Amino acid sequence: MSAPPAVNDPGPPAAAWSGLVLAEVRMVYRDPSGLVVPLAVPLLLLVMFGLSGAGTQVPGTGGLTVLDLYGAPIALMVVLSSIGVINMPSFLATYRRTGVLKRLSVTPVHPSMVLLAQVVVSLAQTMLGVALALVIGRLAFGLAVPRDLPTAIGVLILATAALFALGLLVAAVSPTPGSSVAVGMVVFFGIGAAGGLFGPTDVLPDAVARVGEILPFGAGIQGLQAAWLDEPVPVRSVTGLLVTTLLTSVLSARLFRWT
Amino acid sequence: MSATLEIRDLYKRYGRTSALKGVSLTIEVGEVVGLIGRNGAGKTTMVEIAAGLHRADRGTVRILGLDPQRDRAALRQVLGVQLQESQLHSSLRVGELARLFRSFYRNGRDPDALLERLGLHDQRRTVFDHLSGGQQQRLSIALALVGRPRVIVLDELTTGLDPEARREVWTLVEDLRQEGVTVLLISHAMDEVERLCDRVVVLAAGRVVADDTPAGLVRTTGVPTLEDAFLQLTVAGTGLGPEAS
Repeated sequence: MSAPPAVNDPGPPAAAWSGLVLAEVRMVYRDPSGLVVPLAVPLLLLVMFGLSGAGTQVPGTGGLTVLDLYGAPIALMVVLSSIGVINMPSFLATYRRTGVLKRLSVTPVHPSMVLLAQVVVSLAQTMLGVALALVIGRLAFGLAVPRDLPTAIGVLILATAALFALGLLVAAVSPTPGSSVAVGMVVFFGIGAAGGLFGPTDVLPDAVARVGEILPFGAGIQGLQAAWLDEPVPVRSVTGLLVTTLLTSVLSARLFRWT
Repeated sequence: MSATLEIRDLYKRYGRTSALKGVSLTIEVGEVVGLIGRNGAGKTTMVEIAAGLHRADRGTVRILGLDPQRDRAALRQVLGVQLQESQLHSSLRVGELARLFRSFYRNGRDPDALLERLGLHDQRRTVFDHLSGGQQQRLSIALALVGRPRVIVLDELTTGLDPEARREVWTLVEDLRQEGVTVLLISHAMDEVERLCDRVVVLAAGRVVADDTPAGLVRTTGVPTLEDAFLQLTVAGTGLGPEAS
């Protein structure tokens, strides 16, 4: 038997991180049903836009189509939102409910490492969903590349941060995995409806449309549309994404229960 | 001998309920100590405070001189805990879970050898959700040991195990004692406590009501078996027995 470890050991080895991330990856690919909404629904949306005359150019945009200005931003925000506020919180709520987080709390691994591993894997899923939507959109329906690509990437990063922070808040306030999915769905459809998921926001009551523009779904769509058009991103969109990230991060940190 | 685990004057309330009312306990290096008590006596609360899962309202806990809250990372490298009720990643395989938990420790045991020892070698590729209750229990014990702990807390060690597996786990605990590992065993199985423990601490209604060897408890209570001693002490300790009236 080798000697016992020193009592002033600084914590878990680096291998613990890769082990936790690998565990999360395995959990996803052994039960891929959770990927249906974030990967398949955006593709379905793109196909619907693509097959319904969305190749028609939008006047005054220099040749951009309905697919470029509406179909792609909506599809991308569905990827981000469904992973951020539905999938990720349901995993975390399940871990808490079944005692996985408690079990890990008595090892050198802090449960926050599990949370970070889950965020890493969710980010990978998000990137896969975004890439899939863009490639299929491009190859099948001639989706245009955003004229201001760095801005499009920046908007996607900000929107991901806001939606993941919102998802952590969903996980924090949901006592059970079932309630986490329910709360996540309400949030998803709430911010989606107000932000343009079901059609142009100008048909919504003005107050709802204004709020929808600063919530993550609508703010993301407006930011992406600006990137496709090569126009400045509306300040209210950036502000909305930043405030959502900050506010929900603080709230979820205060409210999150590990056990 | 020197103290491995020292609990001093521990108090804990949940709302209006006092779970612990001034519990003190010392365990020396290499001792196997049984913690027994009725449901709700405060055993799990005490163990979870010792493991750093909860903070005490008052009192101190030191394990190998480490504070479970302040020295969290260092303590968990030397403390193994098998919890009474907890699940694991449902679709991970037994071998993957053992290697995952091994990766948390700097000086752990060989996970494959441990699975072999606990009779889980053939289940290495079985996902956690497909294990029987007894197999999950054996895996839980393996994961508590994989970090090569110097102190181990085993809560309901053999619940759900068949007689053969129970005996094998008992032998494992005896081997741990030989290696100098300090063991705190929470159990309702008096035969297990009698066989494995050097000392038994009886908890009733949040207080330590007895602390003696198994034989000593039987002798001082003047009853034929440890189970009778337990019943007498815990009924008295909860204020339900004739001594309390």
